[in-house]
Amino acid sequence: MRRYGNTAMAAVTAVALCAGAWLLRDGTTSHAPPQPSAAEAHADPAAGRPAAPALPPSPPDRIRIPAIRVDAPLTGLGLTPTGSLEVPPAGRPDLAGWYEAGTTPGERGTAIVAGHVDNAEGPAVFYGLGALRRGGTIEVDRRDGSVAVFTVDAVEVYQAKNFPDEKVYGPARRPELRVITCGGGYSRATGYQGNVVVFAHLTGSR
Amino acid sequence: MRRIARLLTGTALAVAAAALTAAPAHGGGTGSLDVYPSSVVPGGSVSVNTTACGADGAAAGDASAVGAGQFTLAPSSHEGNAIGQFRVPPSAQPGTYEIVARCSGGGREVRGDLVVTLTSVRPAHPRGSVKTGVGGALGPDPVQTAAGVAALAVAAAGGTWLLHRRARGDGI
Repeated sequence: MRRYGNTAMAAVTAVALCAGAWLLRDGTTSHAPPQPSAAEAHADPAAGRPAAPALPPSPPDRIRIPAIRVDAPLTGLGLTPTGSLEVPPAGRPDLAGWYEAGTTPGERGTAIVAGHVDNAEGPAVFYGLGALRRGGTIEVDRRDGSVAVFTVDAVEVYQAKNFPDEKVYGPARRPELRVITCGGGYSRATGYQGNVVVFAHLTGSR
Repeated sequence: MRRIARLLTGTALAVAAAALTAAPAHGGGTGSLDVYPSSVVPGGSVSVNTTACGADGAAAGDASAVGAGQFTLAPSSHEGNAIGQFRVPPSAQPGTYEIVARCSGGGREVRGDLVVTLTSVRPAHPRGSVKTGVGGALGPDPVQTAAGVAALAVAAAGGTWLLHRRARGDGI
């Protein structure tokens, strides 16, 4: 009986030792958010799934990206005094936002969604955005009860210094979506160097 | 046709149009009628919603001011919103029109403004990059570190106990 006790205690000790070593090693190393590879950049625009017909305007309430386990409520965003897009409050890392004065997701044109990659406490809603692949699915719940289904065309990284405004925010002839978060390298002095931008277009609705 | 208020003349229209965006006519919350987009060209479709009628509350919409007649606001799955849509007739004249919704049952009435312009107003798009991170994911993870320390403490205690048993010759 005692021998079993000893064996059990030895096993517990060994497991605790391994787990502790792994936790400490993993917990004290840095966790840079995933960044897209060059393979996810824009390809032939004719490739990919055909566009679905545009939906009537309706504000969005929720965004879901199953591949990176995102299921987040959306808040309305405006512009800052310098003309850049506002961001959701830093205290709500689970919240994403959409550009309220622009196109609603599913409507013809370019709808814009943004969310934090992290805040001071750790990873936030779009931490995994850079791991999304071409062909991935993004769903947006709209207030009229419909769900706009988008397919990812490209995942790009742009430096803040040379940000392609027209490409990211410019008008589109079909219903398109951009999902934006921080990325592109990090420096202690200036923070993240740019943005990860997901380009998607409407391929269905339900 | 009951058109309300301000029929804008050409110049005033241009000024108003420049100032307008597709943002909601009212900032959400209860007791108002949200109109999307708040500015539309003749022939365009408009979506309105309100939380004023409570959960599962339907409403009767009236867009006859802009010539679109009556429509229904049906309850939606979303947070007690009643939602309806109508299309502005191609013959609609520029101006500001009041859209009305009456809750069925209670009879409560909410209103929102719709602006019809001849040229579509494209709101300014954002410029530049977006500040959506501060690097908080990059540092050590305090929870994971604490868990690691705790696990090592358990291992140390277990090891000490085993050594103690062994020293006493309990056979291990």
